[in-house]
Amino acid sequence: MSVLDIKNIHIDFPTSKGVVHAVTDVTLSVEKGRRIGFIGESGSGKTTTALAAMRMLANPGFVASGEVHLNSLEGDTNVLHLDEEGMRRVRLRKISYIPQGAMNSLNPVMRVEAQIWDAVVAHEGAVEDLQARSDTALEGVGLDPKVVGRLYPHELSGGMKQRVCIAIGTCLTPDLIIADEPTSALDVITQRHVMQTLREMQAKIGAGLILIGHDMGLMAQSVDDIAVLKKGVLVEFGPVRQIIENPEHPYTKELISSVPLVGGESFLHAQAAPPKGEKLDVPLLELDGVSKVYGSVTALHPMSFALDGEEPKIISIVGQSGSGKSTMGSLMLGFNDPTAGAVRFKGDDINRMTAGERLEFRKQVQAVFQDPYACFNPFYRVNHALKFPFENFGMQGDVEVEMHKACEAVGLDPSLVLGRYPHQLSGGQRQRLIVARALMLSPKLLIADEPVSMVDASLRATILANIHDLKDKHGISIIYITHDLATAYHVSDYVMVLYHGHVVEAGPPKEVIGDPQHAYTRLLIDSIPWPDLDRDWGDAGDARAALDVLAEIGGTPETVYRGDIPGFTLGQG
Amino acid sequence: MENTFARYLFNRFFTLFLTVFIAATLIWIIPRLSPVNPIDAMLGRMASGGGTIENSGAIMEQLMERFGFNDPWYVQYWLYIRNTLTFDFGLSTSSFPTPVAQMIGDALPWTIGLMMVALIITFIIGNLLGALMVWEHTPRPWKAVIPAMMVFTSMPPILSGLLLMYIFSSTLPWFPLNGAYSIRVEPELSLSFIGSVIHHGVLPAMSIVVVTFGFWALGMRGLMITVQGEDYTVLAKAKGLKKRYILYKYMIRNAILPQITAFALKIGMLVAGQVLVERIFAYPGMGKLLYDAILTQDYPVIQGVSFVIILMTALAVFLVDLLYPLIDPRIRLGG
Repeated sequence: MSVLDIKNIHIDFPTSKGVVHAVTDVTLSVEKGRRIGFIGESGSGKTTTALAAMRMLANPGFVASGEVHLNSLEGDTNVLHLDEEGMRRVRLRKISYIPQGAMNSLNPVMRVEAQIWDAVVAHEGAVEDLQARSDTALEGVGLDPKVVGRLYPHELSGGMKQRVCIAIGTCLTPDLIIADEPTSALDVITQRHVMQTLREMQAKIGAGLILIGHDMGLMAQSVDDIAVLKKGVLVEFGPVRQIIENPEHPYTKELISSVPLVGGESFLHAQAAPPKGEKLDVPLLELDGVSKVYGSVTALHPMSFALDGEEPKIISIVGQSGSGKSTMGSLMLGFNDPTAGAVRFKGDDINRMTAGERLEFRKQVQAVFQDPYACFNPFYRVNHALKFPFENFGMQGDVEVEMHKACEAVGLDPSLVLGRYPHQLSGGQRQRLIVARALMLSPKLLIADEPVSMVDASLRATILANIHDLKDKHGISIIYITHDLATAYHVSDYVMVLYHGHVVEAGPPKEVIGDPQHAYTRLLIDSIPWPDLDRDWGDAGDARAALDVLAEIGGTPETVYRGDIPGFTLGQG
Repeated sequence: MENTFARYLFNRFFTLFLTVFIAATLIWIIPRLSPVNPIDAMLGRMASGGGTIENSGAIMEQLMERFGFNDPWYVQYWLYIRNTLTFDFGLSTSSFPTPVAQMIGDALPWTIGLMMVALIITFIIGNLLGALMVWEHTPRPWKAVIPAMMVFTSMPPILSGLLLMYIFSSTLPWFPLNGAYSIRVEPELSLSFIGSVIHHGVLPAMSIVVVTFGFWALGMRGLMITVQGEDYTVLAKAKGLKKRYILYKYMIRNAILPQITAFALKIGMLVAGQVLVERIFAYPGMGKLLYDAILTQDYPVIQGVSFVIILMTALAVFLVDLLYPLIDPRIRLGG
């Protein structure tokens, strides 16, 4: 029996430039107890379609035509015909919503349990034992109501907050749960735990589930049916196995192939003989017993390595949030002073450089960060951002020529992008411009901190290929900092897996990621939702067992060394 | 937890002390930087006044001692700090020999009463209107009227005061033109006196409310727009909560937090009064005291009033800092 039937729905957004048809003629049904994934890139209409069922479209969007039937309603089942109060009563009681922003979806000034109480009271009036209701709801998602109930949202981790949202979303046993990218802000281990909790609760109350997302792997591991949307049109719909194994629409194929697989085909352009870097007597970059302590937290335990610049290499630093990987990045860039030890670039301690040496260091060591938009001054056209460092560092050559060359090297048409403002470009274009900007200075070393985590999946491979070309064609060594093991597998020559500021496993990627030996690395790989139905994600029990594994690893894990590569030495011990 | 709170308290208290101390020091230094010797200025004014002034010798002597030209600077400074911290600001030169502390003591309750009432009314009206400008369920006529009301914000309070005087005192004889209470009632704790005070306070208070609510409304509008887009507001709606509950408990409750800090700063400022408003309504508050003191170059009064203003601002900020953890739980551990 279907819980929700969406029939020929059209959703329009009137704007000053004319009407945008966000959703065009979508028809589908959600069966009781069944999970449907809505997949597509940003702007595909996946969230808009789902929110139309709750009548919560963002302004000025409206349903131009079509019907949305919630079959448990009495009489007229079309929710579009309900009055405001009727719709309010449907929300949460019949259709609940689990929002995307796990970090910010709870009222910061209310205790967790009070945010369950107000929901219960809004639908059932003054209920006798609110405390018991919130306790049951929190227990259901594996949180201790005695402790967590009394806390404020800022005292919870991201995963806990999202489990609170699941508790709220299921406390009135709705017919349908709409989960809008509920795990997009979480690391893979937490993602698996939250997703499994959601599935478990959904199965328990027998509700239908609409899971909105862009990650084909997560969909493959979480839903029964997949609806693929592109530009507001439902391009493909079917059971998950059919969609994953025999996709028909080219867009579906593209979405599946955009998830890099470990061991799968490489997305990089192969290059026969990469140019040599500079030959030096000292390492290009050396960390000598570097550690970093913030107050009572040790972000990075003493670490030593030496990277030789002659044979350019890509060294990946892989870890989840809080692993210390970004701390390492900022230490290597000299943005942060190490608590102990020294960072040396070509033999010079970067924290003891004169102003002139530092300028030279800044020129030779470039960075690419996560958010390319934040790297541009929004008031200037992008060519300003590209020219400025070139002129500031007193580089030789014609800036216009260099700028065009750099844009072409990252696959952008300079005549199209250079005259624009940052907001007029896509996230992928912006990030490629940042890479081009770095390239113009012919640096010796590039530090890329999560360079592709904020761009659409289909563009990630292209940008990583651009970064890889920096090594192959321009002889630049690269430190690639990421949470994504699959991309690290493909691009890097050497991988270090970080956990709580310790290296837990290090070596060539084929060893470390292809055949992990450390319990933590194995856990990371197992937690990744692969777009491969034969590679099972496990159930809620496995997700909880993962937490036990973490507890067992504890705060001072052993390091597993998986072999060396020439030109890079990791300090052992 | 307790330890954190103790440290928070200590930090705030230290800030309070430091602010007041630095302010007192600046008030001491600044007149000394002036190329004009205040005593010479006094003498000049007396001379230009023509006749001999009674007590002029005593005034001079008192000023000499006050500015302490007979002592080394550190003694002067020490005496000044000691006197200031015990609220001994010396004697007024224009109303010699009234102690400055007594003049401030007489004026302060009027200003605090009037301005506090005006500020609280403005804060409530301004924030509510600002919130309603953003709320999606505000009735349409209100959404058109509220922005139009912002016109008043661009008006100086002296103009709104004169306008209100003209309408409600001159044309319609509803409220008295000036003063803080009727000369026909005794200043005592009686109903008729309190009634008279309120009757006299309405117009000056209104003239301030009318021109300052826009400050709060526009600030609140910006904050509400941010809060309206927050995920917790979206989730509140998805939870099927009632719209008024969402407005108060989710939106205003969060948007108002920065406004409360601004409120504390305003409390300190209001001690200075709306100088011109007090002037045109002949209201016997701090504003009028300061105005008169500037006209007569009554340095001890100016210094005393300045110190009280700074002290009040620092105290208000201190109090809000103490209360802030109660209204924003994120401060509790983060402070």
